[in-house]
Amino acid sequence: MIATAALFRNEFRLLLRNPAVVIWTILIPIAAIVVMCLIPGARKPLPTFGGLSVIESYQPTLIVFAATMLALQMMPMFIGQYRELGFLRRLQTTPTHPRHLLAAILALVLAISLVVGLVLLTFPLLFGVGLVGRLALQSLLLVLVAASFLGVGAMLAGVISNPRVANGVGAATAAMMWFFAGMWFPRTLFPGWLATISDWTPGGAAASVLGAAAAGQTIGAQPLIALGLWTVVGFAIATRSFRWE
Amino acid sequence: MTLITVQGLRKSYGAREVLHGVDLMVEEGEIVGVLGPNGAGKTTTVECIGGLRTPDAGTIRVAGIDPTAKNSELRQILGMQLQQCHLPPKITPAETLQLFAAFYPDPRRTAELLELLGLTGQADQRFEKLSGGQQQRLSIALALVGRPQVAILDELTTGLDPAARRDIWTYLQGLTGEGMTILLVTHSMEEASYLCDRVYIVDDGRIVATGTPDELATSRGSQTVTFVPSVPIDPADLLRLPGITSATVDHERVTVLGHAAAPQTVLAALIARGITANQLRVTGPTLDDAYLRLTQEN
Repeated sequence: MIATAALFRNEFRLLLRNPAVVIWTILIPIAAIVVMCLIPGARKPLPTFGGLSVIESYQPTLIVFAATMLALQMMPMFIGQYRELGFLRRLQTTPTHPRHLLAAILALVLAISLVVGLVLLTFPLLFGVGLVGRLALQSLLLVLVAASFLGVGAMLAGVISNPRVANGVGAATAAMMWFFAGMWFPRTLFPGWLATISDWTPGGAAASVLGAAAAGQTIGAQPLIALGLWTVVGFAIATRSFRWE
Repeated sequence: MTLITVQGLRKSYGAREVLHGVDLMVEEGEIVGVLGPNGAGKTTTVECIGGLRTPDAGTIRVAGIDPTAKNSELRQILGMQLQQCHLPPKITPAETLQLFAAFYPDPRRTAELLELLGLTGQADQRFEKLSGGQQQRLSIALALVGRPQVAILDELTTGLDPAARRDIWTYLQGLTGEGMTILLVTHSMEEASYLCDRVYIVDDGRIVATGTPDELATSRGSQTVTFVPSVPIDPADLLRLPGITSATVDHERVTVLGHAAAPQTVLAALIARGITANQLRVTGPTLDDAYLRLTQEN
């Protein structure tokens, strides 16, 4: 436990020394929500967004963006680099098994995703956007969403050994998640077949549940099942395929 | 007390058997060297002892612990320095030592290790900015941070400058005085001669010789006597002397090889004939010679 805590602190310190992580997964998503909140027009409910404001309709996309950047694009690369450097093997010579390092990394990525997600959810409340009463449900969903991306990221880290390949595949997977979350093209305009595929991806399911929660709609079972499945299947594949050397 | 026992150790990578039955013993408080050419199986041997690889056959005990079965017990008493091992590029030596200290119940203090391994000035420099020698010294420090009963050091001072090597040797000798046992993989005969109580010479997956560095050197090496005689002599005359194994002449310079008493025998014979030996040189056998003979015989 002491060892895992020490590894967690150490990973956190190293992560903060990595400008790409800080900029893409923390600064940019938070800056985006701050800037949008400062634009009065973005705070007004619009009928085209089903009575939601621009901010509320982009919130899920930003949450997906931040979480996927860290869990899919960065994390598999870091783990691959540790394997390649021989750092996992180095830990094997100590009383601490390298799985404690993986646990620390996963916990750290989850923690950052949750903190950034919470900022993205709560900051607009200061500008009267969103409802405090919906925050509890939104936070709960945020945990599910972050966990499912973590599962997919762990799966990539397990299946792909080469850190550069992991980074590339992670980036492509993240971009796909943004697409399914409606970053470039509103999800409401997806044709039926694309909407169905999208709903079963973690990105699409995440946008679907977070959007419904913001609008005060009932959360369907399907996206929740999709998120749960990706979490469970992702971690199951990761633990079976992961190689220490 | 025997701390490390290895019997009949065999290991294959795919179809290729790299260890064909290695036997080895290390007593408590000893520094034992494992010498041998590249690919002889030195690293595989110590990695099996250190529980990083599973042997195909044979038994290993480290302080009574079977490394393949009781890995977590082994980790408490064993410190390992690995040959190819890097740390995250942005971590500093002080942070690394503090991190590893958290893995052990009674770790050595970070400041002490930094000081002893000459890294105090680099304590807050990132690993990627350290020189090869500094990275190597940090790697040694990590093997020692948990106050191990046994340390396995693979290629201890490769790439270190002579002064740093001497400092580390002296430090390690001090630690064995406190009861630590060291198993050392090395390419350096100087290191083995200076540091090791005993050495094992490994070649092609087998132990081909063992003993103290001096024993090995004298058992396999010869005394060499070279001189320029004041009057030409017939090397055949010298060969008839007891204990002389070879005598040759090259441009007036005579080179005689023989057993331990050979220099005395040769000089006595020369004096008896009234011949002066000019530019006389006597060189003793070295571990280098013994090593080269042993590994080339195979």
